[in-house]
Amino acid sequence: MASSSGLTLPGSPAGPEATPAPPVGRTPVAGPVRPRRGPRAGEERWALLFLAPTLIGLAVLSVGPILATLGISLTSWDMLTVPKFVGLDNYTNLLGDDRFLTALRNTFFYTFVSVPLGLGLALALAMTLNQRIRGISWIRTMYFLPLVTSSTAIAIVWLWMYSPTGLINHALAIVGISPLRWVADPTLAMPSIIAMSTWQGLPANVIIFLAGLQGIPTEYYDAVSVDGAGRWARFRFVTVPLLTPSIFFTGILALIGAFQVFDQVYVMANPGKPGSPTITLVYFIYESGFRNFHMGVASAAAWILFLIVAVFTLIYFRTQNRWVHYQ
Amino acid sequence: MSRIARMPRALALAGIATIFLAGCSSTASTATPTQTPTATPTPTTAVASMSAPAGPSATPGATPTANPAANCGSYSGPATTINYATFGDATELTNQQKIVDAFQSMEPKIKVKLTVSDWDTYWDKLQASLAGGNAPDVFVMDGPLFPDYQTRDQLLDLTPLIARDGFDTGALADLGVKDFTAADGHIYGLPRDLSTIALYYNKTMFDAAGLAYPDGTWTWDKLVEAAKKLTISGGATQWGFYTETTDMENYWSSLVWQAGGDIVGPDKKTLLIDSDKAAAGIQFLQDLIYKDKVMAQPTPGGSGDLFENGQAAMEANGSWLVPTHVAAGIKFGVAPLPAGPAGRATSVNPSGVVAYKGSKSADAAWEFVKCYTGPQMQTIVANLKASMPANKQILANVYAKSFEGGATFADALTYAHLKPSFRGYNEFTTALQDELDSKVFNNNSLTAKAALDEVAPKLRQLLGQ
Repeated sequence: MASSSGLTLPGSPAGPEATPAPPVGRTPVAGPVRPRRGPRAGEERWALLFLAPTLIGLAVLSVGPILATLGISLTSWDMLTVPKFVGLDNYTNLLGDDRFLTALRNTFFYTFVSVPLGLGLALALAMTLNQRIRGISWIRTMYFLPLVTSSTAIAIVWLWMYSPTGLINHALAIVGISPLRWVADPTLAMPSIIAMSTWQGLPANVIIFLAGLQGIPTEYYDAVSVDGAGRWARFRFVTVPLLTPSIFFTGILALIGAFQVFDQVYVMANPGKPGSPTITLVYFIYESGFRNFHMGVASAAAWILFLIVAVFTLIYFRTQNRWVHYQ
Repeated sequence: MSRIARMPRALALAGIATIFLAGCSSTASTATPTQTPTATPTPTTAVASMSAPAGPSATPGATPTANPAANCGSYSGPATTINYATFGDATELTNQQKIVDAFQSMEPKIKVKLTVSDWDTYWDKLQASLAGGNAPDVFVMDGPLFPDYQTRDQLLDLTPLIARDGFDTGALADLGVKDFTAADGHIYGLPRDLSTIALYYNKTMFDAAGLAYPDGTWTWDKLVEAAKKLTISGGATQWGFYTETTDMENYWSSLVWQAGGDIVGPDKKTLLIDSDKAAAGIQFLQDLIYKDKVMAQPTPGGSGDLFENGQAAMEANGSWLVPTHVAAGIKFGVAPLPAGPAGRATSVNPSGVVAYKGSKSADAAWEFVKCYTGPQMQTIVANLKASMPANKQILANVYAKSFEGGATFADALTYAHLKPSFRGYNEFTTALQDELDSKVFNNNSLTAKAALDEVAPKLRQLLGQ
């Protein structure tokens, strides 16, 4: 870990079995070195020291607030006056709240459409980008642009493409299809947003798949080719099994990310105030807490979201043994 | 990778989105036409003339008050710095800096640190800083949201200071003062500016169609009749009418009042929006889109202001659009909103300056509030034209005369209703607007009455909180 830095650290792997070098900037400890606290222990101390800024930041800025929301979720609190303990009222009320249930439904729809779609397209694209064709590195670079563009900027451009007189409707008009109202139509709004965020999320997944594809030894392909495997068999019996760790990894990230979708919805549907066709859980949390002064409700909704994500992640991990093949 | 972690950045960027937000009265362009009006009695260099501690006589129309403490420049406390926060875009930052500069030249002992944030970020930051006990000394309050902050005991009661200095609140628009007066009769803020709604019309298009310009005699029928004549090839070439449907302020609350209905009762507990009369007002707007077909189907965020783009002949909307409409180079006039079955009505939404109860420089904060509503700084507001000054004299003598249409917006105050304002307003209006957007305006899957009946139980529950 720290050994590559060139510094001589006590117990650094550079000289694990030799006598530990004197610690930098410290007087050597007098007396015999206790045998149990070997090189490993020293290394851990240093690791902790180096990790401390991150760990303290995490504890103060993430873990603390997360635990605080658990407490807040049991209160009626507007941030400005004294909280009132209400027990589980926020949770029970949420389960009967139309807007929350709509947000829940939309979030599930978004997740279970966008994740498989995103992964499928990313795989197909990675396979394409893995070809040896002229200018491929240029094409790859182009393709990763959405990854470094802010999601709000992307949403604004897509909003323009989706507009009644926008690019997409113009293209449709050429083949004689009358203009569609991509974001204003309640039934089209969510699919339109999914299309945008799928496009936006592709590059991240493609990078991982591409790395996975290039990590598959060509011998495997050679071997199955000798056995008479065609393109499909090569894909089905070599590519896919050996890519499952990548698929597993991108899958979990996509799943968690999808449950937390916010930006796209926030900007696209109805700028600043998404309506019922597109409101999602994270937007609901934001709206309850920061617009409607219901911090307790917002915290309860956040914990419900956490539980949902935790359950799905757990299930997903449980299935790992059945389909993920590590080389 | 967490999207939650990225939220603040996304929100900051979504400032662009607030341009589309109705009710945000600062969509001015960079080309603020301070120099266009010919009838302005004030020199266009109003800001410069403020650099000397100008007495009231420097501004036409300002009556010198007997009590000197009521005037700007009477601060006698220690030198201090106050924080002043407001919402707005880049243009608003420039505008607000002019106002702050003017104040500092009149009150050299008070330095003002100005912060301008986009609409969403503004409220997030305000709540966080109030919760943390370090809110800005003076900040801007949207009328409808005032009770949310006042009832939570965050605002400084200005009543004793008003009395101490002999400040005459009668000099300010009555509805504006009323909007920042709490249920107990105490005043917790003063209106810094106002916005009313009127009918913009494109003179070139009216001339081309050979139609007379709209005027105060117009009714709903007349509007539909003219709009039909001004709609060319089903809107593909030109629409007769345009408005924003996503907030009650832009047009539909005025329609409800013109129809003889209301949104909530004076007690702010009784729901009135589901009455037949109120529904008739909203139905009129739905009909403009789907029955009369004189207005494009609303597209959230997509189409822009069709009137400003030269694609619609009329627009019902707020006074805050004047600078951008001027900048767009449209030859336009302004008429009162056409009257409905119950006569004339329009909406007024004051934005106020309030002081933080926990401010360590309460006197300086009050001085800023006082000066902002005084004749000198209100003249600057009038000349910026992004909104109407709240000071009656400046409104009548400067703003109303500064451009064609100024008088229409100013006169609208006589028949204006305040935008509803009560604790929990945002949650109420979100539920109501969501129903109307998805079922009445963006689609006509329900009639206005059916949609209002559908959402009424939820709204009643919210009012009963």
